[in-house]
Amino acid sequence: MKTEYEVVYRTHNTYEENVREAFFSFQVLPCQNESQVVRSVSLSNSLSADTFQHPNPFGFEVISLHTVEPFNTFEFEMRAIVEKDQTWFPVEGILTVEEEQRQLQDHLFYLENHLYLGFDHYTRIGDNYRPQLPMREPQETVYGFLQRLNSHVYELLEFDPEPTHVCTSANEVLKLRRGVCQDYTHLFLGIARLNRIPCRYVSGYLNQGLHLTGSAVMHAWAEAYIPGFGWQGFDPTNNLLADAHYIKATHGSDYADCSPIKGTIKTNGKQKTSYGVSVHPVQEASFALQEQTQSSFQE
Amino acid sequence: MDAALRQNQSNGILGNYQIPPQFLDEVFMAPGQVHPHYQAVYQQFQEFSKEDFKELNEHAKMSFFNQGITFSVYSDKSKGVERIFPFDLFPRIIPAQEWAHLEEGIIQRCVALNLFMQDIYSKQHILRDKVVPAELIFSSKNYLKAMLDFKPIGGIYNHISGTDLIKHSDGQYYVLEDNLRCPSGISYVLSNRVAMKRILFQMFRQFNVSTVQEYPQELLATMQSVAPKGIDAPTCVVLTPGVYNSAYFEHAFLALTMGVPLVEGRDLYVEKNFVYMKTINGPKRVDVVYRRLDDDFLDPMAFKPDSMLGVPGIMAAYKKGNVNLLNAPGTGFADDKAVYTYVPDIIRYYLQQEPILNNVHTYRCEKDDDFKYVLENMANLVIKPVDESGGYGILIGNKATKEQLAEFKTLVTENRRKYIAQPIMNLSMHATFIEGEDQFEPRHVDLRTFTLLGKDRQFVLKGGLSRVALKKGSLIVNSSQGGGSKDTWVMMENGAGMFMHQNGSTEQSMTMDGQTMTMGPQGMSIGTEGTMSMGKPGAE
Repeated sequence: MKTEYEVVYRTHNTYEENVREAFFSFQVLPCQNESQVVRSVSLSNSLSADTFQHPNPFGFEVISLHTVEPFNTFEFEMRAIVEKDQTWFPVEGILTVEEEQRQLQDHLFYLENHLYLGFDHYTRIGDNYRPQLPMREPQETVYGFLQRLNSHVYELLEFDPEPTHVCTSANEVLKLRRGVCQDYTHLFLGIARLNRIPCRYVSGYLNQGLHLTGSAVMHAWAEAYIPGFGWQGFDPTNNLLADAHYIKATHGSDYADCSPIKGTIKTNGKQKTSYGVSVHPVQEASFALQEQTQSSFQE
Repeated sequence: MDAALRQNQSNGILGNYQIPPQFLDEVFMAPGQVHPHYQAVYQQFQEFSKEDFKELNEHAKMSFFNQGITFSVYSDKSKGVERIFPFDLFPRIIPAQEWAHLEEGIIQRCVALNLFMQDIYSKQHILRDKVVPAELIFSSKNYLKAMLDFKPIGGIYNHISGTDLIKHSDGQYYVLEDNLRCPSGISYVLSNRVAMKRILFQMFRQFNVSTVQEYPQELLATMQSVAPKGIDAPTCVVLTPGVYNSAYFEHAFLALTMGVPLVEGRDLYVEKNFVYMKTINGPKRVDVVYRRLDDDFLDPMAFKPDSMLGVPGIMAAYKKGNVNLLNAPGTGFADDKAVYTYVPDIIRYYLQQEPILNNVHTYRCEKDDDFKYVLENMANLVIKPVDESGGYGILIGNKATKEQLAEFKTLVTENRRKYIAQPIMNLSMHATFIEGEDQFEPRHVDLRTFTLLGKDRQFVLKGGLSRVALKKGSLIVNSSQGGGSKDTWVMMENGAGMFMHQNGSTEQSMTMDGQTMTMGPQGMSIGTEGTMSMGKPGAE
């Protein structure tokens, strides 16, 4: 069964003083893979600046624009029609626990997946937290463990946008026990990697019809590698597996590789930015869009 | 002994010279007896009286101030103070044969390191074969994801390398460091030569010293050789972080001597993945950038997001092949201290050759034999943790107390994987004029060399920066910590070379590689026996 979604990403920035020069980059395009096809994309911006693209280090398209025309408001919109296919979930028992581990411990496998096994600012977890972290039991399959980890992170943390920010690390999340989807995901990544399971950060969109946590803005979840199967998405914020309701934009080692918007501007005053998304199956999108984008704008 | 010489020995600037007992002296073999390649220069210097030489030394200082060759010091007290890098008039001399060996070794090392970087950013064969441990590379903050599966134009990463060498008391050269990011110091090499010629021209012209002033043209040719495809006359620029950078003089100097624009990040912008320079005649496309800016600051879109010094979007333009950057981003993992110990293995792996230049021998405590040696000889070794930099956690055996030695024995035994040990290197010493004492004294020196790799071209500058630790007994040669420098003379092979001669009349002759060119009122002739001549029409 196939579902067609209309995905809209919109950002609105206002500046106290005129901006004299600006360069913006967006990583908001839905990507193409086995389970999703991008049917159409349209881009627009309030400056009528020409946009251009290049692939990021992980092969995902980045949209950029540069302008020297002075402005004090800036709007950018990406609209895409994405066809999402049914996704397949892992089946237990294809490989034995020993075979799984042999693959994960293999040197060449490590080299190929090292970007998803390393520890950096976002994913490093202090030794003091190690004893309380879930670790894979000797007879537990990778998939079994990851599902347990997904529930563990979901139950450990409370969804709260207040205490954390874009730079919050897994260590801080463990201390605060609160956070948003980005924080849930970094903690999941850190623990999975401690178990030598390659795990990557995913940024994308969530069907808003289900009223799940994190669907008002761009969502984040994790993809972990299951030997014998491949990459499977886990959403610790909602304790769900990523399925046909999850529309992927990019993946990377952590948030730093996936941040949706980056910009360098030349101006003196303060700025105010807000952005929102709208994600709906196409048949109901026509009337829902208007209202939803308004109400889901985050200041 | 004639009277003049006797007077020199008592009053002269070299009279009281004490040869260091435990170090190699570059100039002297025994009191009053110098190595053959220093003989001629030594004789000239002996003729100077203290007063003469002090005056020459003042001239040299003024020459640097007048050329504006200064550096700024970062420390709080003297913020913004411009200083000159002290210059010593006694040149360091390297015989042609000795240099030929060094040059071969430096090229070998730079080429192997380039292949290493190419491999690490593509198939990682050397990691698959476990010649270099993968964790060592992946944990380096200078290993950049942005460079993975990307090959720069011409396949060159370290277009400009600064290989640091020292001469040990065993008379051999050792590589101390490979600088593959933005090695600096070349402007001093060129200005030292200018100062040398200004102050002691009569002396300088008698020697067959290899030239250094072609460096800027060689650098420009290197840049042009790696221009984006289809660009016949590439626009090259030097990108500087700005006037507050300690090496700003050098950035300006190189731009000026190459005849290319000196730009800051704000002078460039990226539009549709091409780089443009803002000029009074409108935008001008830029093809090759010699950037003297660290990776972190190069592009706020790709690296440090708050960098105001870089050019947003330049990495994307680079990876599209629309601009080239020298050096390539991400070279820093390869000149890491921990990787250094593997360079001999890296050379063998990629070139199937034995390394020509010595690495300082490194004992890896994880190996049983090495571990045993380290424990027994700790007082004569430097012990370093492999994963730390900036000189933390280091033990210098001959300066450590008994307690410290015992403490390190426990540390190393508990974590053998974490420690390496190296012999304490004795930097050679060179006669250097010491102000205040007003005489020559031995001081430690090292040598920074400069190598250029371009597409199908390699160049090692025949010369370099001999840095001198001016403080007595000090081994620290850095300019910010009381270091100075010397002109470095790489001698030409006998026979090859150029002599100019004016025979008192209006005729000048020049001999080059055995051929003589004569210019005079009778016209110009070239050749050993006048085989070719271009005389004035109608002349005899």
